Amino acid sequence: MKYILMMTGTKVGVDSYRAWSKKDIETHFAFLKDLNKDLSEAGELVANEPLAAPELAKVVRAAKDGTPTTDGVFPEAKEFLLGYWIVDVDGPERAYQIAARLSGGPGPGGTRLSMPIEVRQIMSRKTDEMA
Amino acid sequence: MKYILMMNTMKAGAGVPAWPKKDLQAHIAFMMALNSDLREGGEFVFAEGLSFPDQAKLVRAGKDGTPITDGVFPEAKEFLAGFWIVEVKSPERAYQIAARISAAPGPGGGPLNMPIEVRPVPAGPPPEML
Repeated sequence: MKYILMMTGTKVGVDSYRAWSKKDIETHFAFLKDLNKDLSEAGELVANEPLAAPELAKVVRAAKDGTPTTDGVFPEAKEFLLGYWIVDVDGPERAYQIAARLSGGPGPGGTRLSMPIEVRQIMSRKTDEMA
Repeated sequence: MKYILMMNTMKAGAGVPAWPKKDLQAHIAFMMALNSDLREGGEFVFAEGLSFPDQAKLVRAGKDGTPITDGVFPEAKEFLAGFWIVEVKSPERAYQIAARISAAPGPGGGPLNMPIEVRPVPAGPPPEML
């Protein structure tokens, strides 16, 4: 069963992260690197991508003639996807366990962040059945 | 340059859309044709459709690191319905692909004109952080 684990945050959250000390940021990245290594070794990692900062985001809509119209202004409260992991695991409990590990990543001073991680199943197969 | 195209169109509580089967099939056929064009153009990196928000859980680590799950979301919360990662020559090309996705057919076959969030995907964390 494939699950996506999504780390989201607002602009305010991203700005506060930027104010972390270099050491705290390094500890956080070392934590993520360990996690990915463990998931790869267990054959559970399908994909992982960090995304660029929210200020580089655009919202695109098709105009009447199909050409793109872009907009880059977002409400302050908008949650942005910061990064995601796709894992292939035996059941939802294992996906929640991995999400909890991710949630407990180290923040400033090495304290546990306990950030919320959204977990949802990937439905690629169901999509194929609809076709 | 890698870009992610995100379809953030679902609201909390949403399940399978109440569209006629024919409209759903036209929508899926549109997405399959898009993916096949992106593959042939060498621009396709990755794409996934996600399950509906009624399947979503929010997970936090408890004090001992065990998962605490929550499945209650504010009604206004937007959910990711699906995403594409494309490898393109310019942001304009990424916006073009996003516009095509935006115009995917909805009920009755008309274009949905949904908003698609487009953001660069960096090659990885900055090297000094590894």
